[in-house]
Amino acid sequence: MRPEAPNRKSGLGLAAAVIALVLALGLAACGGDTVGGGGSSEDATTAKGGPVEGKLAISNWPGYIDPGKGGTVAEFEGETGVDVDYIEDVNDNETFFGKLQPQLEQGDSGGRSIFVVTDWMAKQMWDLGYLQEIDHNDLPTVFQNLVPTLESPSFDPERQFSVPWQSGMTGIWVDTAKAPDIRSVNDLFDPKYKGQVTMLTEMRDSVPLVMKSEGVDPEEATNEDWLKAIDRVKAAADSGQIRRFTGNDYTEDLTAGNIVAAIGWSGDASIVENENAEWRMPTEGCVLWSDNMVIPVGAPNTPAALGWMEFSYEPEVAADLTEYITYVSPVDGVQDLLRKSDPQLAKDPLVFPTEEFQRNCSTQDSPPDVEPVNEAWQEVVTG
Amino acid sequence: MNLRQRLVPYWLLGPGLLWLVVFFVVPMYFMGELALRSGSLTTGYTFSWEWANFPDSLSGHTEQILRSFFYAGAATVLALLIAYPLAYAIAFRAGRFRLLLLFAVIAPFFTTYLIRTLAWKTILSDSSPLVGVLQTLQLVPEDGRVLATSGAVIAGLTYNFLPFMILPLYANLERLDLRLIEAAKDLYSSSRQAFLRVTLPLTMPGIIAGVLLTFIPAFGDYINAQLLGGTQQAMVGNVIQSLYLNQRDYPEAAALSFLMMALILVVVSLYIRFAGTGAFMGDEDEARG
Repeated sequence: MRPEAPNRKSGLGLAAAVIALVLALGLAACGGDTVGGGGSSEDATTAKGGPVEGKLAISNWPGYIDPGKGGTVAEFEGETGVDVDYIEDVNDNETFFGKLQPQLEQGDSGGRSIFVVTDWMAKQMWDLGYLQEIDHNDLPTVFQNLVPTLESPSFDPERQFSVPWQSGMTGIWVDTAKAPDIRSVNDLFDPKYKGQVTMLTEMRDSVPLVMKSEGVDPEEATNEDWLKAIDRVKAAADSGQIRRFTGNDYTEDLTAGNIVAAIGWSGDASIVENENAEWRMPTEGCVLWSDNMVIPVGAPNTPAALGWMEFSYEPEVAADLTEYITYVSPVDGVQDLLRKSDPQLAKDPLVFPTEEFQRNCSTQDSPPDVEPVNEAWQEVVTG
Repeated sequence: MNLRQRLVPYWLLGPGLLWLVVFFVVPMYFMGELALRSGSLTTGYTFSWEWANFPDSLSGHTEQILRSFFYAGAATVLALLIAYPLAYAIAFRAGRFRLLLLFAVIAPFFTTYLIRTLAWKTILSDSSPLVGVLQTLQLVPEDGRVLATSGAVIAGLTYNFLPFMILPLYANLERLDLRLIEAAKDLYSSSRQAFLRVTLPLTMPGIIAGVLLTFIPAFGDYINAQLLGGTQQAMVGNVIQSLYLNQRDYPEAAALSFLMMALILVVVSLYIRFAGTGAFMGDEDEARG
């Protein structure tokens, strides 16, 4: 039997059903009509304290914790019985934020109760209403042991929403066998090193260093200063002077011997497998920053998140962490503990920097008007 | 014929149609709606028929768009030049090794795309033996490099999409009736003539399918440019990624994605028109014509 030509009426019926479905979906979408914009920080909720138990998901940067059986996560689990899902998915602030922003906008933290993000990103999330406020009464250990220099940063003067995880410095990584003379950011623009230099994609790391090399104080810089420095970087990228813009992966280029110098972070010695590579304080000074633990809106287990913060501020725990990751600890008493267990590390100026060592450094900051500057920077970085 | 029987074709079409609606029409609708919004991250993006997003998304990005055409085009041509002899050899000369060789073509897929591309980073790094050999042969200048150049990105694209060229070509060549070539030779054609006038036209469907399967994903790729490129190798995929994840200009990112889709559609339609729809649909008679 040969099928007849399809009946016109039932064809229309199907088409109508499809259109109805599309319209229904469309209308459902129009209900919550804006993307972004968010709530405001004024009506922020406070993270609830309580018994430390259940499951806890943490998002942190790669290589930012001591792993394994005696590691911080395992110790915390042993002590509290909390089941920790430790996710290393923060590769750079912008991308992490870009990935989670649509969920945060809906009041959903993607199952995580703690993020670790850099100062300015913590502030940006707070301003958009994506973070919960922290009650200091829930965190006695943290605020007893927090080093005084980090008690009142400009982005969060009362530590309402952020607790430092680690701090560090942005400066220059140099392969001393190939380019022993690189000491200043200006040296990175020397044609001698064409195609063998990388810079960080993080605007607030790379651009302030370039501004400092031009004698501009990043903490006082205007939008024009930022754009001028970006122009200088753009010219160097166009001419092939700068090989790539990188995240943490500049360490791979250093290890493989593809580059002689990179703008990079002070604590990465453990992941640069090149014995000639060393981090140098630029003659112009460095950029100082901290990465902070924050509790996002919709965090499923805030008591455990607060418990984790308390735990990581016990000096013994913090000392173990410092020994492994070699960044600057925000916890008082770590240096004393390490003098006994690892005297050499206790003397390392990159891990326990003195005021004298950091005298020319600037605190990391954003340009006065972020959007146009960021757009110009992203154009340069994308290429 | 009763109503039930008349509805059968629609029931059979149903799953495919539903698939298209859920995974193509609906996402397209949302993307189109997003492309017409305006605002900023802090104020929120609201729907406002903002047609200006389309021209805005193109301004300043023509360089990357042209570069994407060039890279994807070069990778497609290279893949075709490598894949055709390879597929031919597997189909006609491999004998009992045929299955093994086919497996070898697919084997790299057991490793993820990202890992394969990262491996090339090591292979092409400045102090690698391969680059040393290329320098000795004067193919790369003594102080030159391969990684972080256009060459590395094109090589990465070619490598990653090569199987998409080989498999349709192989499927097509395998069905080729060798008696037709014998007949051509009986009629005193040289091997070259037989190839150009019999084999090549008969394998046009495979070539066209392979070219489309290679060119379209290569055009939108951003992994190769990101991992193997330097500061001057960004493709349009990298621009969209940056607009979406780093600048969070969602409307402009959506508008640019839309325009690129339209552009690809136009290019592909022209290509199919030029090559003949019959060839694309696997109609060998038309391809032969």
